[in-house]
Amino acid sequence: MSQSSAGAVFKENIWTNNPIFIQVLGICSALAVTNLLSNTLIMTIGVVFVTGFSNLTVSLIKSLIPRKVRMMVQTLIIAFYVIIVDIVLRAYLPEISRNLGPYVGLIITNCIIMGRAEAFAQSNPPVISLWDGITSGLGYMGVLMVIAFFRELLGFGTLFGFQVLPETFVPWTIMVMAPSAFFFLGLIVWIGKSIMNRSGAAA
Amino acid sequence: MNKQSILYTVVFTFVVGFLFVLLLSLTHERTREMVERNQELSRRRALLSALDISYSSEAEVSEKYNTEIEPFERDQTQLYRYQSDSGTAVAKPFSGSGLWGTIRGYIAVSRDLDRIVGLEIVSQNETPGLGARIDEAWFKNQFRGEKIGQGGIRVGAGGEGDQDADNAEVDGVTGATRTSDSIETIINSEINKLENLLEAAQ
Repeated sequence: MSQSSAGAVFKENIWTNNPIFIQVLGICSALAVTNLLSNTLIMTIGVVFVTGFSNLTVSLIKSLIPRKVRMMVQTLIIAFYVIIVDIVLRAYLPEISRNLGPYVGLIITNCIIMGRAEAFAQSNPPVISLWDGITSGLGYMGVLMVIAFFRELLGFGTLFGFQVLPETFVPWTIMVMAPSAFFFLGLIVWIGKSIMNRSGAAA
Repeated sequence: MNKQSILYTVVFTFVVGFLFVLLLSLTHERTREMVERNQELSRRRALLSALDISYSSEAEVSEKYNTEIEPFERDQTQLYRYQSDSGTAVAKPFSGSGLWGTIRGYIAVSRDLDRIVGLEIVSQNETPGLGARIDEAWFKNQFRGEKIGQGGIRVGAGGEGDQDADNAEVDGVTGATRTSDSIETIINSEINKLENLLEAAQ
């Protein structure tokens, strides 16, 4: 893995080709789990782990996979890692496992993971694939954490469960509900694209 | 060997499937005891909280569970009795459907069915941040000592938590009307069952 390609993959996944606001993947979970920072953090850590390792595994055995069952095998690999995450949470972090409930299992439906396996790991060596998966997950985590920050702050007046706004603050109920994530997602796409256009014009 | 042949495809799929499932089973097996311990602990904790018994450590949970609570059966229903200075309380495990899945937990009432002693959720699959807030302390604490009215209790509109213990009413969760309604249905049906079970014995 050369220095430049690792750097390029990083920049691509975090910024210029961010899975959420450029590729618009993984939107369902961006809406569903972003009203509390702690839940978002744990869930996205799960996604980083699953994307990284499923990419690594797909890349390692890619030459052995018959084309007909390629996607089936990818799904199997992804499901495997998701269940591992679920088991680990259940055994070591039962409280968080309780809070996240069905959302851990739903990591498997996150299009980013399959997307990276298909688009990157299928045609690249293992180490850079692992890196691609991790950075894709981080790009996803970054956007979700920003959304969750504002939603928790305005919806509950708290950050990671700690009260930060005064008691007199009236929580915005809409922030707790899924539609508010759409507003923030829209704003983030807008801001991100504007910055990109400006720097593109300058360059 | 031809990698696109049917034989290779079938064998490959089988081997890959077998390997991954084997690894999963091993992981599951290794953590099973821990998971079961966690589940049992959270079940005991829930039962203690429902009966308003305080505890501060894991050891205390097991100790109080074994010494203070007396399990008994009536009409094949598992019930738990707890004798305290303020009277006898009876707890019953419940399960009922919420918006997305089954809500399980314990409900405890005073022996004379005058008041709810406590409500505790063991497992639920409601929407995180919305319906799942039924598991938060402010919501559950509303049931502590709540008067049981004629038709049971009422879960009202979303709010901050109803402090009045005599109006047979609690606040629902804002943005989770369907979950709040489910809780009302579940609790009233459980109160009804408890009435039948306990009154038959009087």
